[in-house]
Amino acid sequence: MQSEGKSAMVNKKYWIIIFLTLAVNVVMLQWTIESFYGEEYVHVWLYTAIGTTSSLVCFLTFWQWRKQEYRK
Amino acid sequence: MPQDHKNKRNSKDSNDEMIHLIDNLNRDDDLKYNRRAFLKSAVGASITLGLATLPFSAIALNREEDDTNRKMITQLKDLPKDSSMNFNYPTDDEPAILVHTKEGKLKAYNNKCTHLQCPVFYEKEESVLLCPCHRGFFSVDNGQPLAGPPQRELPLIELEVKDGVVYAVGRKVRHGE
Repeated sequence: MQSEGKSAMVNKKYWIIIFLTLAVNVVMLQWTIESFYGEEYVHVWLYTAIGTTSSLVCFLTFWQWRKQEYRK
Repeated sequence: MPQDHKNKRNSKDSNDEMIHLIDNLNRDDDLKYNRRAFLKSAVGASITLGLATLPFSAIALNREEDDTNRKMITQLKDLPKDSSMNFNYPTDDEPAILVHTKEGKLKAYNNKCTHLQCPVFYEKEESVLLCPCHRGFFSVDNGQPLAGPPQRELPLIELEVKDGVVYAVGRKVRHGE
């Protein structure tokens, strides 16, 4: 029972991280486009770097969640 | 026979009046729209949005080199105070306006209105930049919109005066002054 509760907590952590990366990526895409049309290319690269990192974090988190979720 | 009847009665959308116990269950939907599928969609969306920023960076890399574009505009003596002239900067396809204000300051902006790209003119009486298409007004001092539909500032062209000659030396699209 206790282990089940712990597992649910861990799962919740994955959900939170994934939705945080989703929010970050929405904002990064918006800012990247804004900077691109403003010709502030340094900002474009910065936001792309953050967006890509966030995508990577999302993917790794998903991978961990998948392992845990389908573990029998 | 009894088994047959039972199967029919339990089939999906059956008209059997006895029971509709499985009407609220749809196994196909349960397989498609569940907690796991929801999270997977969120992951897909997140990764897609993050990677969608990459093409902008790739294009930005190609465009970076035209940063030091220095171009002569005019002789300062040919542009009296409270007058303006048009030129093209940074490329020949991008029209711009150079204004010599009443106070003697030189200001230059790309003169495509940021609303619908009509040309912007210098309005002497009120000392503003006017877009006649939809009556958009921009400040001569900083290119910010003052009235009308435009929401964004005009791109600012950086100037340099050397030996009585006015040069355009750079451009800031978002300058927020």
